Amino acid sequence: MRRANVLSGMVLTAFSLIMLFVVIPWQIDPAPAGMISTRLVPNMMMIAIAVMSVILVVTNLKSAGGADGPSPITLADLRMVLRIGGLFVVTIVLYLLTGPLPAGFALVAGGLLALGERRPLPLIAMPALLLTALWLLFYKVLGTAIV
Amino acid sequence: MDYLALGFMDVLNPVTMFWVAAGVTIGYVLGAIPGLGKATGVAVSIPLTFYLQPVAALGMLIGIAKGSAAGSAVSAILLNTPGEPSSAPTALDGYPLARQGKAQKALKMGLFASVIGDFFSTVILIVLAAPLAHYALLIGPVELAAILLFSLTFIGGLSGGSMLKGLIAAAFGIFFATIGLEGETFIPRMTFGLLELDDGISLVPMAIGMLAVAEMFIQAGELKRLDVETEAISKGSNPGDNVVTRAEWRRCAPVIARGTLVGSLIGILPGLGASVGSFLSYGMTQRLSKTPEKFGTGMIEGVAAAESADNAVVPSSLVPLFALGIPGSVIAAILIAAFILHGLTPGPLMFQQQPRLVADVYAAMLFASVVMLVIGYTCQSLFAKIIRVPMRLIIPGVLLLCCVGAYMETSSIFSIYVMLFFALFGYLARKLDFSFVTFLIGFVIGPKLEFSFRQSIQLLDHNAVNLLHHPIAIVFLVLTVATLWWIGRWKRPQMPSAPGERGPAPRTDIASDHKGGS
Repeated sequence: MRRANVLSGMVLTAFSLIMLFVVIPWQIDPAPAGMISTRLVPNMMMIAIAVMSVILVVTNLKSAGGADGPSPITLADLRMVLRIGGLFVVTIVLYLLTGPLPAGFALVAGGLLALGERRPLPLIAMPALLLTALWLLFYKVLGTAIV
Repeated sequence: MDYLALGFMDVLNPVTMFWVAAGVTIGYVLGAIPGLGKATGVAVSIPLTFYLQPVAALGMLIGIAKGSAAGSAVSAILLNTPGEPSSAPTALDGYPLARQGKAQKALKMGLFASVIGDFFSTVILIVLAAPLAHYALLIGPVELAAILLFSLTFIGGLSGGSMLKGLIAAAFGIFFATIGLEGETFIPRMTFGLLELDDGISLVPMAIGMLAVAEMFIQAGELKRLDVETEAISKGSNPGDNVVTRAEWRRCAPVIARGTLVGSLIGILPGLGASVGSFLSYGMTQRLSKTPEKFGTGMIEGVAAAESADNAVVPSSLVPLFALGIPGSVIAAILIAAFILHGLTPGPLMFQQQPRLVADVYAAMLFASVVMLVIGYTCQSLFAKIIRVPMRLIIPGVLLLCCVGAYMETSSIFSIYVMLFFALFGYLARKLDFSFVTFLIGFVIGPKLEFSFRQSIQLLDHNAVNLLHHPIAIVFLVLTVATLWWIGRWKRPQMPSAPGERGPAPRTDIASDHKGGS
């Protein structure tokens, strides 16, 4: 975790400095004369993050003597995030092209497939049941359409 | 008192009782589903109450809020996915209990603590709302800024394995809260030209992304191990693990009393919210325990502490709303719309102008507490069965509900994008042990903190010396510094972090992961 702390501290330091000197001045106009700066709190937060991130890096570098534990994020974790992320991309594209029903079906059935479910019954029944239940809840019970 | 009796007469009729019970049931179910909390539940249900009588409508909405607060413990205990951030400390011990085959015990204690906390907090609301209006006026912007800063520092220091990372997360939360049109000048801040960001980042998709979707990412990565553990739980259960014993009641009674008091006090203070209450109560219980190192491994007191405070916050957070017309929490802010819609304008004058309707609301709240006990108790075994379902079957369903919950907030696909962005953000935060709970609290109180801070600068005439005229603010600022010093020096034996930050299995080596590190 120490290595991860050092790396995340460095990334956060860089991020906060970029925000402080590039993004905030670019994205927030100065306040009219006589008013408190609109950049005040965002700047304060970024300064705080920069300072604390540097401390995070320094304290973890100082104590880098012993053996470090395993990385908190493994390749398998990243693969799973990418797999589910891809599923969301497909779902959104389907939603934009067709509508909520195919998108919802794809999300549940695709999710089951991505997580290793291969039995046909759950693959068909689960999306059907969930979507029916949602339709009943929102369209019939709550009377609020999902549009 | 006379009005309260009349209020019970109005509430205890079949129609109103039905809608209050329906509200509690809907709330319980919504609370139990990760990502669909009381704010979403109440917001979605407001249109449903258009055609109801004011008492039934308000009773139903309050029932949803109360039921959801109690129901969120179910997913925290069974899935390690708090239905709402305020149930995060419940998962710290509730989930390990569930993994040990004591899910029903944890659920029962969570329910009892919730009902007790909720009921007595409602009584506190009834007793204190009107008289407190006078004293609450003493909390001005300077004091409020100091109180918010103190609470954020306290939570940032305690909620994760590292104080530094907790404070970084809090700063990020406040930073993200500044996105959108600035309140005084209406200058857009970091909107990148996107109109959807003019109103700022919506809390619901953000919270759903950070809490539920990110948790699903993590659970998906640990699917095989979780399935093995799930199998072990169903085999390891025995009847003795399904009840709360007398000895456990004796241990938990003072914890629940303290949690109720802490939650009620936190609820009364505007802007702090249920998360502060539940974490504070949990932290106090851990520190006062003779075996603090066992917290995070399945201590029933942890569940009692968190749930009593969490549920006590909901009724008492209506104190500032009723006394001053200022919402003290997200749910209070949403309820304002419903109250006004049904003819009750929250504020000091409502006690004089509509005492009968106020009494009706009080009676409905007390009745909802009782209904909560009945619904929670009778449906408990049903909820406990969730844990036996393999995670690969739960995750896609939760992801679908997350999408629906996020989408419903704005009826825009942009909410899904926000949800996914913060899902990734939350995933990294959990993996790298940055407290996402502190982030969310920072985000929620960020606007209020910024507003009161800006007001304070003007009130103090840009001169810090003028702070001497605000002794309450000084006390809280000193407490903030003392907290930083104390937490920084305190060598945590085995400080539990928020659920998900340490993975789903009970572990107690977070502190050692950071030894000397931060």
